[in-house]
Amino acid sequence: MAVKPECIAMLLAGGQGSRLGILTKQIAKPAVPYGGKYRIIDFPLSNCVNSGIYTVGVLTQYQPLELNDYIGNGQPWDLDRANGGVHILSPYQQIKGTEWYKGTANAIYQNINFIERYDPEYVLILSGDHIYKMDYAKMIEYHKKKEADCTIAMLEVPWDEASRFGLMITNEDGSIAEFEEKPKNPRSNKASMGVYVFSWKKLRKYLIEDEANENSGNDFGHDVIPAMHENGERMFAYQFDGYWKDVGTINSLWDANLDLLNPKVDLNLDDDSWKIYSRSPVAPPHFIGDNAKVINSMITEGCEIKGDIDFSVLFANVTVEEGAEVRYSIVMPGTVIKKGAVVQYSIVAENAVIEEGAVVGERPENMEVIDDWGVAVVGSGVKVGKGARVAPKEMADSNVGGEE
Amino acid sequence: MSSNNVLGIIFSNAYDELLPEMTTFRTMGSVPFAGRYRLIDFPLSNMVNAGISQVGIITKANYRSLMDHVGNGKAWDLSRKREGMTILPPFNTTETGMSVGKLDALCGSIDYLSSSDKEYVLLTDCNVLGNIDYEDMINAHIEKNADITLAYTRGIPKQINYATEYEFGADGKIVSSKFIGNFMFETNYSTNVMVIRRSLLERLLQEAHSSRFENLESLIAMHLVHLKAYGYEQKGYIRVLSSLQDYYNVSLELLDRDNMKQIFAPDKPVYTKTRDEVPAFYGISSNVKNSLIADGCRIEGEVENCILFRGVTVAKGAKIKDSIIMQGSFVGENASLECVILDKSVAIKPGKNLCGASNFPVYVGKEIVI
Repeated sequence: MAVKPECIAMLLAGGQGSRLGILTKQIAKPAVPYGGKYRIIDFPLSNCVNSGIYTVGVLTQYQPLELNDYIGNGQPWDLDRANGGVHILSPYQQIKGTEWYKGTANAIYQNINFIERYDPEYVLILSGDHIYKMDYAKMIEYHKKKEADCTIAMLEVPWDEASRFGLMITNEDGSIAEFEEKPKNPRSNKASMGVYVFSWKKLRKYLIEDEANENSGNDFGHDVIPAMHENGERMFAYQFDGYWKDVGTINSLWDANLDLLNPKVDLNLDDDSWKIYSRSPVAPPHFIGDNAKVINSMITEGCEIKGDIDFSVLFANVTVEEGAEVRYSIVMPGTVIKKGAVVQYSIVAENAVIEEGAVVGERPENMEVIDDWGVAVVGSGVKVGKGARVAPKEMADSNVGGEE
Repeated sequence: MSSNNVLGIIFSNAYDELLPEMTTFRTMGSVPFAGRYRLIDFPLSNMVNAGISQVGIITKANYRSLMDHVGNGKAWDLSRKREGMTILPPFNTTETGMSVGKLDALCGSIDYLSSSDKEYVLLTDCNVLGNIDYEDMINAHIEKNADITLAYTRGIPKQINYATEYEFGADGKIVSSKFIGNFMFETNYSTNVMVIRRSLLERLLQEAHSSRFENLESLIAMHLVHLKAYGYEQKGYIRVLSSLQDYYNVSLELLDRDNMKQIFAPDKPVYTKTRDEVPAFYGISSNVKNSLIADGCRIEGEVENCILFRGVTVAKGAKIKDSIIMQGSFVGENASLECVILDKSVAIKPGKNLCGASNFPVYVGKEIVI
C-alpha cells in the first residue's frame, strides 16, 4: 500500500428507516432522496471528502440494490481511488457460517479485516441518517489533542426536545461524565449525533470483547460505548455547531427539505468551499412556462413547470401541468402532476402520477381536528386517479382510484 | 453494430471565425449553449449514442477551456483503456506549419488516423446542433457502398449566412457542390458531417499534402466526379450556427418545447460535465415566464423568454427579457436587460439598463462589470 491513511470512515448504511414507511419500502434510508438532487448519504460522503478522508467503507444490509447502484465506484464524490476510495461492505459468508449484521458494533466487527488492510490510527463511525455539514478533520484534531480513546460528536438541542436523544453530561475538560439514553427528565441538552472517532487499537479490543459477550446487543450506543466508559477509557464530547437533522420520520424529512427554503436556517448547500456532491441525472435545464408561477421554491434540472409552485422542493424531471398547484410539498424525480391537480403538505415519491383534478394532502388550517393533520405521502410509481383524494397523514402505497 | 467500426473526429475549432465574440478565448466546441452545455457536447453525445467508442478531438487554438470541459471523457463514458476519447493538439512541424484549416489539422493527426483499426471515419464540426442519428447515416454509407457520404438538411437556411449547397444526379449521387451566401429558397445545404472510408481519407490527405491544398471542402469537391459520393438527409431539428445572431436566435428557439424535445430526446441524452450545483432557487418576489433555467440559479427578479445558465443570480427588482445569461453572471437590483447575451461571470450593477434588439443582440464579454 502506498500512503497509510491516518483515519478511515465506516458509514453505517444498513438501516431500514421503518418510520419513513413506504418511502423505504424499496430502498435503504440513506438512499432516500433529499433537497432536489441529493440522497441522505451524500452528506456523510461529501463531508468525508471535504474533510480529507478518502477511504470509506459503506456497510449495507437492508435493500442495498439502489444504494449500491447509486454509490457505484464513488466517482461523483471523488472516491474512485487507486488507494482507498469507497467500498461497499455487505454481510458475507464465512467459514463458520453466514451472519447478518446483528447490530452497529457487530457490523464493524465483521469488517475488522477491511480496516486492518489500511491499519489506520483512527476510525470514524458515521451513520447515513442525518443531514449536516461537518468538518470531521477538526473533530479528529480534537480527539488527538485530548489523547482520547473515543470522541463523540454532540450538539446542544432545545431542552424541550432533549428527552428524545441520547444525552451526555460532560466535565469541564470536555470529558464525558455520564450518558443518559432518552431520559424523561433530562439533565443535559448535549445530544449525541451518532458520529464517533475511535482510536483503532482500542476499538478493536472492545469489538472483540463485545462479540464474545453473549448478552450484548452488539450496538455502539448500548453496549460498546458504555463498556468503554465503565472501564474508565478516555471519552470526550466534541461540540458541533450548525444544522443537523435526523430525517427519520415523514415529518422530519418534510421539514428538513423545507428548511432549505428558509433563509433563517443555517444550511447552505450553495457553498463552493463545502460542496455536497451527488450522482446527477442527465437532464437539460428546467423549463418554466408562460402561465407558471414559481415562488419560494427549489426546482431541479429536467423539470417542466406550467402550474403554480409555492414553498416546494422539486427533484429532477418533474412535470407540473397547467393549472396544477404544488404547495408546501416535496416532489421526487420523474413524477407527473396533471392539469388542475392540487398537491399540498405532501411528499410525492419517484415516478408517481397525480391525475387531473386529484387532491393530495390538506392545509392544516382546513382541518376540523388538527390532530388528524399530517403530511400525506404518495409512494413510488403510484398513480392517484382522476379526482381522487389522498388524505393528510395517509400513505398511498398502491394506486388510488378515481373516476375513469 | 456498424458504428463499432467507426472512428469519430470532431473539429473543435472549425469556423471559430464565425463567432469571433465568443471564440477569442475559447474554441467553437467550448461555446456555452442551452443553459448547461458546450457545443461539443452535441456531436460528442451523438457519437456516443450511436455507439462510436473512439473519438479524436482536433484542436487548434485556445483549447484550455475545451480540455477543462471534456477532461478525460468520463462524462461521455469515453474514459477507457481501449479506445475512448483523445484530444489531438496541433501538431506543428516545419512541414505542416502552423495548422490553419481542417485539412492541415487532419494532416497533423495522420498518425492518429492510421493507428486506428476502424474502417470508417465520421467527421463533424461543433457548430452543428441537433440530435443526429449518426448510426443511421453510417448504415446508409455502408449499404450504398459509398466512398463518401455527406450530410445535408433541406430547408431555407435562414440561420446561415453561407453554406455549401449540393446537387444530386439521377442515381442519388452528389454531382456538384457549391458555396453560396444569402439563401432565399429551400435547398439542400451541407451540415458539414461526413462519413468516409479511412483508407480513402488517408490517401486524400497524402495527396493534398503533396499538392498543398488548404481546404477540406474544396478538396472533396474536386474529387466528387470520380468518387461514389452520396448525400444523407438529416431530418428533424438541425441548426448550423454561423454568427452571433444565429447563436442568439437558435438559443431562443429552445424555448419552443418541440425543438427542445427533439434536441434532448430522452432516449438519446446529451451528456456534459457535471458541476454539482444546487437546484435553482426562486425567491418570494421571483416572476419567471417561458424560460430555461439551469441549476444553481438564484432568482428574485423577473425573467421572461430567457436562458439562464448555471449559477446565475437575478436580484430583486431586476428585469430580464429575451436574453441569454451565461454561467455565474450576476444581475443586480432593479437592473434591466433586454435582448442581451451576457458571457460567463458578467456583473450588471444595480440599476443599470442594457437593451439590444432581437435582430441586433448586445453581447457582453466574459467577466465584464457594467
